[in-house]
Amino acid sequence: MKTWQRGLMALFALLALFGGAAYAQAPGTPPVEFPYTGNRTAVWIVAQLHILFAGFILGAPIFVVISEWLGYRKQDPRYDRLAKEVTKVTVILYSMTALTGGLFIFVLLATYPQFTTWLINHFFIVFAVIYPLLFIGETFVLYMYFYTWDAWKGNKKARHIALGVLLNLIGSITLFVIDGPTSFMNTPVKAEGVSPVEFLATASIWDKMFNYSWMPLNMHRLVGNVTFGGFVAGLIAAYMYMGSTKDEERAYYDWMGFIGNMIGVGALLFLPFMGYLLAYELCDYDASICPYMMADQLSMFFEMQGAMIGLIFLASNYYIWLSMKRIEGVEKVRMTIIAPIVMIALPLVMTKVLTDYPAPDPKSLMFLLPMLLAPAILGRFIPITVSSRTVIKIGFLMVVVGNAIWLTPHGFVPTGAKLVAELELPSDWNFLALMPAKNSAAFTLVFVTVVNYIIYNRAVTQGTIVWGKIDYASQFVLIFLAFSAIWTMGLMGAVRSLLRKYFHTYNLLPDFTAESFTPTLAYSAWYITGITVVFYAVVSFAIIVTLRASHPKEHAPEGSPVPAGAK
Amino acid sequence: MGKAIIKIIVGLVIGVGLYVGTMALDFPPVFRWLFFGYAVLGTVVFLILDAPTMKVMSGGKALVSLLVFYAILCTVFISGAALWPQYDPEDEKGKIVKILKGKPNILDPWKADEVIARTKELDLKAKELTERIKALGTVQGVAGQDAGAAAAPVAAGASGGDVLKIGEEQWQLQECYNCHKLNGEGGKKRGPELDNIGTLLSQEEIAKKILDPKSYKAEGFDAEYDKGKMPDKYKDLMDLKDVQALAAWLATFKNTSVNTPKPIKMK
Repeated sequence: MKTWQRGLMALFALLALFGGAAYAQAPGTPPVEFPYTGNRTAVWIVAQLHILFAGFILGAPIFVVISEWLGYRKQDPRYDRLAKEVTKVTVILYSMTALTGGLFIFVLLATYPQFTTWLINHFFIVFAVIYPLLFIGETFVLYMYFYTWDAWKGNKKARHIALGVLLNLIGSITLFVIDGPTSFMNTPVKAEGVSPVEFLATASIWDKMFNYSWMPLNMHRLVGNVTFGGFVAGLIAAYMYMGSTKDEERAYYDWMGFIGNMIGVGALLFLPFMGYLLAYELCDYDASICPYMMADQLSMFFEMQGAMIGLIFLASNYYIWLSMKRIEGVEKVRMTIIAPIVMIALPLVMTKVLTDYPAPDPKSLMFLLPMLLAPAILGRFIPITVSSRTVIKIGFLMVVVGNAIWLTPHGFVPTGAKLVAELELPSDWNFLALMPAKNSAAFTLVFVTVVNYIIYNRAVTQGTIVWGKIDYASQFVLIFLAFSAIWTMGLMGAVRSLLRKYFHTYNLLPDFTAESFTPTLAYSAWYITGITVVFYAVVSFAIIVTLRASHPKEHAPEGSPVPAGAK
Repeated sequence: MGKAIIKIIVGLVIGVGLYVGTMALDFPPVFRWLFFGYAVLGTVVFLILDAPTMKVMSGGKALVSLLVFYAILCTVFISGAALWPQYDPEDEKGKIVKILKGKPNILDPWKADEVIARTKELDLKAKELTERIKALGTVQGVAGQDAGAAAAPVAAGASGGDVLKIGEEQWQLQECYNCHKLNGEGGKKRGPELDNIGTLLSQEEIAKKILDPKSYKAEGFDAEYDKGKMPDKYKDLMDLKDVQALAAWLATFKNTSVNTPKPIKMK
């Protein structure tokens, strides 16, 4: 796609935004009725697609610029190639972000004209001035960053990296700005003793933006986007590895897959805690949100989330396992016995400590910190070691145990109201369903993954990596990780949106349409899968168009010109 | 192959052990199977860990394997989600209609569609009434007086019971049971058990607490009070008559055998 075509697409998106806004201002415009899906699901599909594209184009540049900087510093051309290839895909997907963004506004205005107008009016300066300016600025910087790649080399490389930093700065501000109205719909401004409608009338734009869930949502999305970008980079590498015919290409894409996975997993380690922070703020805003999420209508969505996160951790650790297999001399790597002991003890001890001293009580750290640091400190004095293979296998056992704890519900019922003894945990074991146990399970998954990366790092320093010789199954693991991460993003996006219950804007603006109920998990899963598949298809197409097609093929040696029609 | 069989046997032994162990600990059957499922998951993980290396694929074979892999992922995720207990939206739909009934829509204060429909309806009724009045002639005045006299006591008699019924309905609609235990049902210790609240607070005081959660603090619930766990939203979401009805219904609970914490007046 040429620059003028991309520019045209972006222009259409902006026209859609403002044209749509003008359309919504027309009095008495009746909302359209989407066949098959209904209006709410139609908005959901387009919004989710837009967020997936936006998530990638905001997340990928963060590690692209880090990769470029690493390449510059280490003088390793692989980092620069990785950064450039991911940027190529980002540029294509940037157009898709603009297109789906425009479509989102159109669908929103056609289906919920009054509410959309109301929201735009409340955030007029954001929608009409700040966001378009940032969007144009980001478009300008992104294209400049991409098209100056080859020109700004050598002495000018630092300048190019600075441009990448600027791109990320604008991208992050764009994310923070658009999170304002989004989080406002979940936690609109409020004040004690004043009705929300009255308070809203006097609230400034900053009051509306800086609501309860704004900063937690910013943090959650920022980290989530990096995770997502890392896993999609892994997906790009997997596709290219599978399509490679030369050993050196396989070696490079094997390396790229490893780096993508490492970035994805590195950010993933923080994600459960960012999610916890967001949930904590939502519950703090209105305590009735908590049971709706964890015990009632959305409780099974969280069970599914637990299953997905568990699978993602299993897969990412399996990828490390497969990566270790291609390191020559890995059998020599050993680790202190304290590490597997801590792994095994962690879920139990942490559950007990967090039950007695619930977070954020600092006393909990007094017990947990020494325990977590024990392998590094006591390991120096206790000479007993075990093989890396044993440590990783114990780690897998504990990932399964962690998953089990995370998944075990208080009751096998969709809502607390339907709870009966035959479907409920025995009271003595109810602690398995409480937050201390869930937090300890999450932390066990994180701890095991960190230990596995430490072992991998030791294996790399003591042995030799044979790039390109990784088990072919690892490519399916990379694809699985990207697919699961996107699916989980869709699931949690649906949860965040559904938390508004039967309101467009929580407790402020009821949704009077017949669709303002909580859908079932099964129904949601169909649409989340469908959206993920569409997104995957577009991303796969973008990868093939930008990377596969651009690879120069070896030409057959030119012979003497042959006249047309000659036999 | 031998190693794989040993792993399967070990996995089965652990699974059966977990099943029997949870049975001995009085876990319901669904949880026993869940724990058995965890053992199966663990077995699968350990089988995959030592599985033989996959052969390199290329061209059409790689593409087909990729498409099959995606099809498996989609099927597993969709069916996996369907396996969990499903919430019935019909349970919620009725509640939402009741909660939103009569609430003003600030996006459409004039309710243009409703006004037009109502005008047409009233037009029809007016025509019907005009015809009936014509048919009744002079007798209609006397009949009207009789009907009014008969209707009054029925309405008055029904209102007491209706208020309590509305109060109980509000308890369900506002999902108060999520935090408060009553009649042995609901509550997750977020808020006090309310079976004896009628002895400790009057109807007016309960209504005050609902409208302004900071007005009273339940003894022993200091942390919850300080954090503002009881939402300060019911004054905006509920009609005053519904709050009064809920308070009237709660005031009927005077079960002294239940230790409802003592409310402390704060405002």
